[in-house]
Amino acid sequence: MAERPGVRITGVHALSALGRGAEAQLAGVLAGTPAFRPVGRFDTTARRVGVAATLPETGALPDELAEAVDVACAAARLDAGARAGAPLLLAAHGGAGVPALAGELARRCGLAGAPRVYTSACVSASTAVADAAALIGRGDVDRVVVAAGYLVEPDQYALFDAGRALATDGAVRPFSAGRRGLLLGDGVAAVVLESAEAARRRDAPTLAAVLGWGRAGDAHHPCQPDPQGRGLARAVGAALRRAGLDPEQIGYVNANATGTGYSDAAEAAALRLAWGEHAGRVPVSSTKALHGHALEASGLLELVVTVLAVRHGKLPVNAGWLGPDEACPLDVIRDAPRPAATGYALSLNSAFGGANTALLVGAA
Amino acid sequence: MTGEPDRAGAGATAAGLRVLAQARWPEPGDGAPPALPGFVHSAFSPVVAAVADRCLTRRHGERPAPEPVGVRTAVVLVSAAGDRASAEQVHATVAAGGRPGPLFFFQSVPNSVAGHVAARWGLGGPVVCVAPTGDPLAEGTAEAELLCHDGDADETLLIMIEQAADDAGAGVRAGEPGGAPGTRAVAVLLGGGDTR
Repeated sequence: MAERPGVRITGVHALSALGRGAEAQLAGVLAGTPAFRPVGRFDTTARRVGVAATLPETGALPDELAEAVDVACAAARLDAGARAGAPLLLAAHGGAGVPALAGELARRCGLAGAPRVYTSACVSASTAVADAAALIGRGDVDRVVVAAGYLVEPDQYALFDAGRALATDGAVRPFSAGRRGLLLGDGVAAVVLESAEAARRRDAPTLAAVLGWGRAGDAHHPCQPDPQGRGLARAVGAALRRAGLDPEQIGYVNANATGTGYSDAAEAAALRLAWGEHAGRVPVSSTKALHGHALEASGLLELVVTVLAVRHGKLPVNAGWLGPDEACPLDVIRDAPRPAATGYALSLNSAFGGANTALLVGAA
Repeated sequence: MTGEPDRAGAGATAAGLRVLAQARWPEPGDGAPPALPGFVHSAFSPVVAAVADRCLTRRHGERPAPEPVGVRTAVVLVSAAGDRASAEQVHATVAAGGRPGPLFFFQSVPNSVAGHVAARWGLGGPVVCVAPTGDPLAEGTAEAELLCHDGDADETLLIMIEQAADDAGAGVRAGEPGGAPGTRAVAVLLGGGDTR
């Protein structure tokens, strides 16, 4: 990794239904047991589906976000002075109170303010990471704290239920035959990103590096992905170009795959478009089958999971598998975690609006 | 306020982007924005689509945007509060134990109308929605500059919109500055200007 300094990840924290803390995420995804359970947080009797991946005894979102930032900064061994120079990029569901939430979170955690909140649906957090890496790469700042949060709540739950997006069989089956949709899940995460030089100067712990990133749109439909995957393929290509890596060097893809029929097929098409036949030889899974879809926070939760998995050298399974779907000709990791062949991995996210992101990380 | 096109048009941005076109909604003579198929109840998405169409028409004349610039144009939607009317309608429906209409699912995030604009005009750059904590124009311009500097876009359609708390399904009630509140938007196309 020495020849590819990238942008260092020096501290992480995450919460999901798999547990509280980064190690709980790694243990949970390697155990491979989905965390879905009946929703007890609010009444779902008027809904078609009553299941989600919720963590019992979560606090309010502002408190969970503050804890995530504090733990990630502590893991990065950031002192108060270093925190005070780091801006916060927050990803959260938009709304009238969200800018104030960001400002208060930055103040509470001793950060250098929060210029904006990313409200780009399911690419919010991954776009924030790409922007943070770009800001550091441009020399604007030495370090950025990216935080993201979604805790399953009644309004979005009702909307996904009304849109018939939720899996009626209580399981998420990415890329699998018989997949019936997504399930929501809690996700709160924070990541400290630093320039290689800043991390070296203070002898910071380095978990991984963000080596490449890409963001591109489908220009296809307000809500449906391009079935040919052209936008996501461009995002993947941009991430590899920035990293200076070839597809053959990528050892794992943590896919966006939500378990939705047409969108998983579009993602498979994107990988085929980007990498041709080689796309069928890269190990792929979607950890949403284990921790659910954390919406605006999904990109950061999945980045943390991806970093921890490639560092550990084991790739998580794609839970919920029933059988192959010819529309998804990929090397899906089934049955048991697989050893990582390389330390390079992609985390992909796509969203309404045809928005796509690719984050390429290298394990330290 | 949602940003001022005249301020954006005063010259190049810090990163050297120029204002290639700009538009407001409403402009003199505007009433309610044209209905937008698939979007209901709120003026938020129709106003975004209308101000984007106006801005892009001033630059490109007709749809889609020409290549190669189209596929390298980002859409950045800036709104502190987002679609307040839809969010409040959904919240009230859910709180009363009801089911929101399915179309509210599709318009539950600002990405949807940003994606509508991108699809309508063939804009294949990043789609980014942000809520600024400070000046919307400054934050939106900063995001546009970052995307262009970083190489994922050559041009950015920047749309700034705010919806008054009481502007639900009635559409635009706003007039000139100082008039009644409503749903107001500004669109600015930023770029180097040499990629057309």
